Amino acid sequence: MSVSKKIVLLGHFGVGKSSLLRRFVENTFSENYTVTIGVHIMKKEIMAEGNNITLIIWDVEGTDDFTKYRPSYLLGASSFIYVFDASRAVTYSDLKYNLGHLKEKYSNVPVHVIGNKVDLVDQDQLIKDLEQQEIEHSYLSSAKTGENVERLFQNVAAQLLKNA
Amino acid sequence: MLSAIRKEFLENRHQLLVVSEDYKVLSSDNTIFNINDGSDITDFHPFFFTVTTLFDEEEASRHFFCVQIDHLGRTRYVDIRTKKDVLEKKIYLFLEDMTEHYKNVHQIKQVRNESIIQFNIVQELNNQLEVQRGFKNKFLANVSHEIRTPLNSIQGFINVLKMSNISKEQLDLVNIIEDSSETLVTILDDLLDISKIEAGRLEIKNRRFDFKSFINVLSKTYALRAEEKRLEFTCELGENIPRFLVGDRLRINQVLINLLENALRYTHKGSIRMNISTDSRNLRRLPITFEIIDTGIGIAPENMDKIFESFTQLEKRGLFGGSGLGLSIVKQLTDLMDSDLEVKSIEGEGSSFMFTITLGVSHDQRSKTQEQVAPLVSLPAEKTKGKKRILYGEDIEVNQLLMTKFFAEHGGYSLDIAKNGEWVIEYLERYPYDLLLLDLTMPVMDGFDAATAIRNHSNKKIQKIPIIALSARTTEEEKMEAKEVGINAYLTKPINQALMFETIERLLNRYKKKN
Ligand SMILES: Nc1nc2c(ncn2[C@@H]2O[C@H](COP(=O)(O)OP(=O)(O)OP(=O)(O)O)[C@@H](O)[C@H]2O)c(=O)[nH]1
Ligand SMILES: [Mg+2]
Repeated sequence: MSVSKKIVLLGHFGVGKSSLLRRFVENTFSENYTVTIGVHIMKKEIMAEGNNITLIIWDVEGTDDFTKYRPSYLLGASSFIYVFDASRAVTYSDLKYNLGHLKEKYSNVPVHVIGNKVDLVDQDQLIKDLEQQEIEHSYLSSAKTGENVERLFQNVAAQLLKNA
Repeated sequence: MLSAIRKEFLENRHQLLVVSEDYKVLSSDNTIFNINDGSDITDFHPFFFTVTTLFDEEEASRHFFCVQIDHLGRTRYVDIRTKKDVLEKKIYLFLEDMTEHYKNVHQIKQVRNESIIQFNIVQELNNQLEVQRGFKNKFLANVSHEIRTPLNSIQGFINVLKMSNISKEQLDLVNIIEDSSETLVTILDDLLDISKIEAGRLEIKNRRFDFKSFINVLSKTYALRAEEKRLEFTCELGENIPRFLVGDRLRINQVLINLLENALRYTHKGSIRMNISTDSRNLRRLPITFEIIDTGIGIAPENMDKIFESFTQLEKRGLFGGSGLGLSIVKQLTDLMDSDLEVKSIEGEGSSFMFTITLGVSHDQRSKTQEQVAPLVSLPAEKTKGKKRILYGEDIEVNQLLMTKFFAEHGGYSLDIAKNGEWVIEYLERYPYDLLLLDLTMPVMDGFDAATAIRNHSNKKIQKIPIIALSARTTEEEKMEAKEVGINAYLTKPINQALMFETIERLLNRYKKKN
């Protein structure tokens, strides 16, 4: 039996958490926005570093205030993926504050910061903007085009195995 | 009896499950979902991987709200409560189907989130526009500065040349140069105006003014201009329009001049008429209609929309330059004054431009002669008493030269020149001055820093010296900044000689009164 790890997708609403998950698990995308309420959970088995690993991915209802997350949702997570919307600055302007909260409450859970919807923006401008606000990100992705989606989940999994 | 009814109410909404630590279903009452005993619960739904986590932590029970479970093509939202039995290594799971409740919640959040996201996107677009506009306005201010500086010296030396001993023929030539450089200044001003209008920074300032004499001056000027082109010019001013009105004289002037210039440019024979009238007998607010009619080349129907294209639109299509910005300014200014500009034209026969502006009627229809006859350039008492001493901080040589010339002609003051801010302070400390003329952009120490140093100087007399800033930049920001550091007046280059001496005198008088 392969190892299973819980990963939680966090971030403001509408940033594309569900879309990233759907692209990763089902390789589909929809322009329509259906709000996620509560939590929707999907799993996918992948190979990373020569091992089988089952990712149990919790797609949690979006919020701008991370102190409002229900602790039961974040319980037992091995990794957080923090998604922001590259086309809406409000979804990353409070990123540092929210990261601070995660660091305080879940100090040993690694956080991966993802800027999604890069298909909508000028990447050079975005990168400049992020640098100016001192926001470090792991990947810039697009659930729409699929850019970096597979890679970012692979990267998360590889890091989990390394830490195990 | 009661327990039977209770059962009926609860039955289809609650389910109890018992699961072992290795995910085996030990028992289930299968009221919501059908799950076989002995099966792996994680095969039913990945939520149940969480069972392991529950054994790892201290809490004996947990409550998971609103877990979305898709089963047999149906989406349900269930609340799940857990309780662990550490000794028996079992987890009790209590599922409650809350689908109806959460569907309502979902609808509300869907609407809320969509509207917030829509708002964010609009905000984002606004920000982008702001940045672009800011960039454009800064660019315009800089370009205007770059052009104004050399233009300043050109205009200055035209004055110098006119005052020297030149022949009549040469004077005619100089006058032509002067005309062209004045046109350049107008273009620069227009550019700045447009950028201000687009940035929403141009305000209409309503004041009382002598409407009749304003129109008289304008029509005399254009009668002359028309005569030069052998055109007929007539101006009709309605008898029933009072002499003193309240409105933005400067902007009305700008609109009329632009329309008249336009008529002059495109009319090669025939006439230009300006009609100003009102039908109203209102005693307080008069809608006044201005009409400018020419017998010029007219406008082709397909070009009708294009003549008012804004700076932005022209810029977008790469058409900037050539036809001038006049009509675009007219359109934007009339808009600002709540008026519609109407154009009628027949190609080859002529055009007419018409707009109506509502102006206030001044309560006081008497002219205040004292106000109008303020002396422009004269130095009454001071002249006899010995000259006032003025210091000029300026690094550029042509400007120094020009100023020397101005003061030599005027004769009422003595002038010293310091080549940067540091020298200005040095001079002020060494000699007594009555007023300081200060260029704002100088090396070593610029005008702003010098003014700040002066206003904080320990010597009271130096601290209070009147300061006039001279600058080729004309942004509102710079004017504000100049005010903040304690500069009393702000003049734009190219320097208007009369205005400068008028300002000097005004400040000196004010200073004298205070002390
Ligand atoms: N252009 C573009 N649109 C995207 C991308 N990812 C998501 N979207 C769109 O963004 C909207 C929101 O996507 P979701 O995936 O539902 O967002 P979410 O983060 O799950 O939102 P909540 O569930 O409310 O927290 C949808 O209309 C998607 O089609 C992307 O990479 N590019
Ligand atoms: Mg979602």
